[in-house]
Order: sequence, then C-alpha cells, then structure tokens
Amino acid sequence: MKTELNFTDHDAFYERLIAAHHGLDEAQSAQLNARLLLLLANQVGDGAVLAECVDAARRLFGPYSPPEA
Amino acid sequence: MSDTALQPGGYILPEYEFTAPGDLTADEVRRYPVVIVGAGLSGLALACDLAERGVATVVLDDDNTIGVRGASSRGIVYAQKTLEMMDRLGIYERIRAKGVVWSVGKTLAGSEVVYEFDASSTSDSRQPPFINLQQFYLEWFMVDRVIEIGRTDLRWKSKVVGFETLADGARIEVETPAGRYVLEADWVCDCSGVNSFIRDCLRLDTHQARGIDRWCISDVRFKEPLPIERWTWVEAPFNDNRAVWQHLMADDVWRLDFQMGPETDIEHVSRPEVAAERVRRQLGEDVEFELVWVGPYSYRAQLIDNFRAGRTLFLGDSAHAMSPFGARGGNSGIQDADNLGWKLALVLSGRAPEALLDSYSAERRPAAQFNIMTTRRTARFLQPESPAEKLLRDAAISLAKEHPFARSLCNTGRLSNSYIYGQPPTSRAQRHKVRGVAVGEAVQNVPVGLPDGQAGTLVDLFRNGPAFVGIWSGALPALAAAVIRLANREAPVLRMLELGRAALGLSVLEDPAGKLGAALGAARGKPIFWLLRPDMHLAARIENPDAAKVSRALRGALHGRLQPERA
Ligand SMILES: Cc1cc2nc3c(=O)[nH]c(=O)nc-3n(C[C@H](O)[C@H](O)[C@H](O)COP(=O)(O)OP(=O)(O)OC[C@H]3O[C@@H](n4cnc5c(N)ncnc54)[C@H](O)[C@@H]3O)c2cc1C
Repeated sequence: MKTELNFTDHDAFYERLIAAHHGLDEAQSAQLNARLLLLLANQVGDGAVLAECVDAARRLFGPYSPPEA
Repeated sequence: MSDTALQPGGYILPEYEFTAPGDLTADEVRRYPVVIVGAGLSGLALACDLAERGVATVVLDDDNTIGVRGASSRGIVYAQKTLEMMDRLGIYERIRAKGVVWSVGKTLAGSEVVYEFDASSTSDSRQPPFINLQQFYLEWFMVDRVIEIGRTDLRWKSKVVGFETLADGARIEVETPAGRYVLEADWVCDCSGVNSFIRDCLRLDTHQARGIDRWCISDVRFKEPLPIERWTWVEAPFNDNRAVWQHLMADDVWRLDFQMGPETDIEHVSRPEVAAERVRRQLGEDVEFELVWVGPYSYRAQLIDNFRAGRTLFLGDSAHAMSPFGARGGNSGIQDADNLGWKLALVLSGRAPEALLDSYSAERRPAAQFNIMTTRRTARFLQPESPAEKLLRDAAISLAKEHPFARSLCNTGRLSNSYIYGQPPTSRAQRHKVRGVAVGEAVQNVPVGLPDGQAGTLVDLFRNGPAFVGIWSGALPALAAAVIRLANREAPVLRMLELGRAALGLSVLEDPAGKLGAALGAARGKPIFWLLRPDMHLAARIENPDAAKVSRALRGALHGRLQPERA
C-alpha cells in the first residue's frame, strides 16, 4: 500500500470528487461512493494491496475479523 | 432442512426389497472388510467404485428407495469431474441420455442480464461442463450398476442405531423390519448425510454455522419453451426483488427456486396454492403449468476436523455441508468417493500402507473448506446482512450493466471445478503460467488413441487396469531395459505407456488431436514422465525421467504424496 503522495494532481481530484457529490442526497452520495470504491479497487487489482487498504480504513473503528480464506 | 412431499409429480421410483441377512440368525457376529453406511450419492458412488475395483462391500441404508422420500429432488447439477467418474463407472451414457446438457449461465437483475458465462469453451473433455439431472435418477443409475457388477451387498431398510469403535474396526448395530443385529467391519465409510448418527456417536465437532436465508423450491412442468440455460436473478421483480433460480432438469421439469424473506412463514409459502401463485407471477397468467414438487429449505455449513477417525472414514454431507449455491454438495461427496475408492482398495490388497488413507482427509478436507468458503461468499452476496452490504451489492449490480469487471462481482454461484490437491488456493489463481496441468490437478477426459488401436478417451485407461497410469514422452531408448524391468515389477499398480512414439518398447498411446499433450504440457523433444493417479489427478511430473525417479514417485504416491514440480 502506498502511503506517500501518489496523485498527479491531488487538489484537482478532491475538488472533482466533491463536485460529483453535488446535488445528491445522502443515499445517492453513499451509492456514488460505493460505485467509485469498486471502480478504484479494480484499478488497484492486487489483492494484498487491497487487503491492506481495507484494514487501514477500518483501523479507526477497532479490530475486526477478516474472513477465513 | 425439511423436505415436504406434495405429490409424486409423475415420477415412479423403484422400491427395493428388504431381504433378511444371514446375520440375523447367525450364532456369531459376522465381520466384513468394508461397510458403507448410507446409500445416497456418496455411499453409492463409493460402493460402485469399490465394486469396479473388485472390492466387495456391505451397504446399509435406512430407506428402501432412492432419493428423499416424497419424490423430491435435491441436487440437480452434476459437474464435469463427477460425470467423468460416472463414465469410468459405466453409467455416463444413461446420465447423458436422461439429463440436460448445458453450458450457458446468466445472471439477471430486473430484466437485464448483468453477467453471462459459457463453460463449454474451456473444455476438451468427453463430458460437458454440466448435466442437470434429478438427484434420484443418478442414485438410481448407480444402484442398477452396483447390482449389475454384483459385488455389493445392498441392505435396504437397515438403519444404523448403534456404533462402537474397535481397535481394528467397528461394531455396528442395525435395525431392520425383521429385528436387530450386530455386525463388525474392518473399515466403515460413513456416508449417512448431514445428520450422521455415527459422527455424532464419536462426538466429532461439526463447527456448525446456520444460514438465515430461506428458500422455497417449486419444480414445475410446462410447455413454454425457455432457453436451456441457467438463469439466476439477484433481484427478481416477480419475487419482491429477491433471488430466483430457473433451471431445466430431466422429464421437462424446471427447477424454480425462490428466495424468501428471512422471517418467512415456511408452512405458508410451501402451500401448493401459494407456490402456484409465485410461479404464475414468474411465468405469466396464461402459461399452463403443473407443480411437480414444492419444498422449502435452509442451509448450514458444517465441517469436521478430520475425515478419518481411525478405521472410520467420512464422506459427503456427513463430513461437510454447505449451501447449495454452485452445486458443490453432491459433487463433492462423489469426488470424496473418487478420492477414497482407489486408496482403500490399495490398502485392502496390501499394496499400499494405511498411511495412504490419511491423504484422503488431507486432500478432501481442504477441498471441502474451499467449497464452504465459495458457497459462503455467494450466500452473502444473495443475502446482504446489513444496509452497508446491500449498498455495495447495489453498486456492483449497477456497475455491471456498464463495465465488464463488475459483472464478475455479481456472485450467484461459482460452479464446481475439480480441486487441485496439495496447493494453497491462492496459487491456483496464479498458476496460469504453468504449462499443462499442475501436480495435484485433475487431467480432463480428453480423446486418445488407445493401445489396442481403438479411439477412446483417457478414462478408458482407468477402467479395469491396475491403479496408476504412467506416460512417457520423448524418452531416450537407452532407458528401455530399466523401464521394462520396472514395468514388469510394478504391473499390479502401474501401467506405463508411451505418448505417440515407441522408444522404450511400451504400448503406445496416440494423441491424434494433440489434446492429451496439451493437457499434460508435453514439449517436443523434451523427455517428461507423468504419473496419473486412479482418480486422474496428476501425482508427479518428472523432467528427464529415468526408472529410478519413476519408482520413487510411485512409492511416494502410494504413501499419498504428490511430487512437486521440478523436485
Ligand atoms: C435444494 C438443494 C439443492 C442442491 N443442489 C445440488 C446440486 O445441484 N448439485 C449437487 O452436487 N448437490 C446439490 N445439493 C446437495 C446434495 O443434495 C447433497 O450434498 C447430497 O445429497 C449429499 O449426499 P450424501 O450421499 O453425502 O448424503 P445423503 O444424500 O443425505 O445420503 C445419506 C443416506 O444415508 C441414509 N442414512 C442416514 N442415516 C442413516 C442411518 N442411521 N442408517 C442407515 N442409513 C442412513 C439416508 O437415508 C440417505 O440415503 C443440493 C441440496 C439441496 C438441499
């Protein structure tokens, strides 16, 4: 998992992401995020990197038990 | 799981007579080499396999017919590896004639197809990827075959009610219409299904996990021609946006399987008029149909820690249970028998050590674990357990309509393939680089020219001959003398052949279509030896082989070891 900056233009990305949520209600925004998540995950592809990302995102909320492979 | 009978649906099933066995009146307790408990898919496949290998068995079953009482069918989809075994056992032609061959599967959300596969493109086997057939027909064919071979003592209406482990076997108490008796067995194969009495007597933990999902099957007969494909709706508008299966079986009967809400009143939804109304919503008001059978079910996952407990071996649902998604239950029970049969036969004849039987559990338990994991993932996709899960599923479905990658995420069942023994599942996904089958993987039943000049398929080499088949390719003639000596010495357990060209003086296996060479990963001019086990899984692949290396690989295989590539 990359933790150093890897965007070609991070500010532009952030602004675009916010813009994409514009005019959506909470449910639609959640749906947009979920779609985006799956699209991005497919760009990453690598299972080990994705697992690290999932774990890193979850860290805020304490431990969880990943499914047995 | 409960199975409720509605009506026989026009199926006329055989009933088998109970014949009082001599044990009932004998003065002493009789002892048998192998007793199989349960005449379901697993028990019958094992009895049939052992009979083919010349091993006599006693089979005890508490019922006097095939299938589940009430003429229902549970399993419907039989996968290629199962069908290949049935070819070896001599009943494939009947399955082919009665069943429905299919290869296209579609996943729908609403009225849109979001995912589609055609399994026929990856197959060089004589057997198609799948045949649909009511489970009781397959059981019926196996019973007929077992009777035809004539080595199996099939005892109907014989319920195991007592079980005691002995140092060298077990003592079993049997209840029959003519009273109780006791018999002893050197080896017991428990194939008595998900509620196994023997397993529970031995207090083996099944690590049970029950699913909350509820389903209701409605098998129907109707004239409307539908495509002979497997259709699965993740969200069917005609079933309150819950899942539905649509699949053709033999006798023009369709399996329609409806997902119910978790809180459903099962009694109510299985009432014929309620079931008929559901079917009408799917097919339309003006389609005439006949309800053949209605039955609700739920599922659970179970897995015991070791499929061998001394002289008792566990096969099929008694060892492992899973949800039906992906048709893995019956197929894996049959493949348990495919794995165990030859091992038990070799141990009984003294040609292999008892340790070989440990490899049965070592190989089949990971296969079951893999099946449980795979079916669990499907179950979870079909029954999201939280709003967050539902959100992710909605995202996957909506993306699937636009982007190919997301179609694969719509998991309505991953149909069963044969398992690759001895490899962690992760390396399975990565092993595309390897040419030909990997060690531990099954070779498909590809066409070959048999040594007697007949056209045949790989399975033909495994019918009556000795256990293993060894194939030489590109061998140096200088090895001939040592190889022939080896061939003579190991003849009872190993039959050796040469691929395409006689350099060693062994019989020649022709490969006119090049399918076997491709399956094995043969390379022109490169000397390679392949050792195939009786279940057609590759036991060893040896580059630059000689008689000593082959002999070592065979010894290893007789101890249940696979020879890693390039070892
Ligand atoms: C809805 C549904 C759909 C399915 N679809 C498929 C599918 O498409 N493909 C697939 O491969 N699998 C499928 N399965 C799973 C499949 O039906 C089972 O995995 C399979 O029947 C297991 O076979 P078995 O021989 O291990 O056990 P069983 O079929 O349960 O046989 C056990 C036998 O033992 C006998 N018995 C039990 N106790 C005793 C006793 N004490 N003494 C003597 N005899 C006893 C029973 O009468 C029975 O005959 C499906 C299951 C369900 C519920």
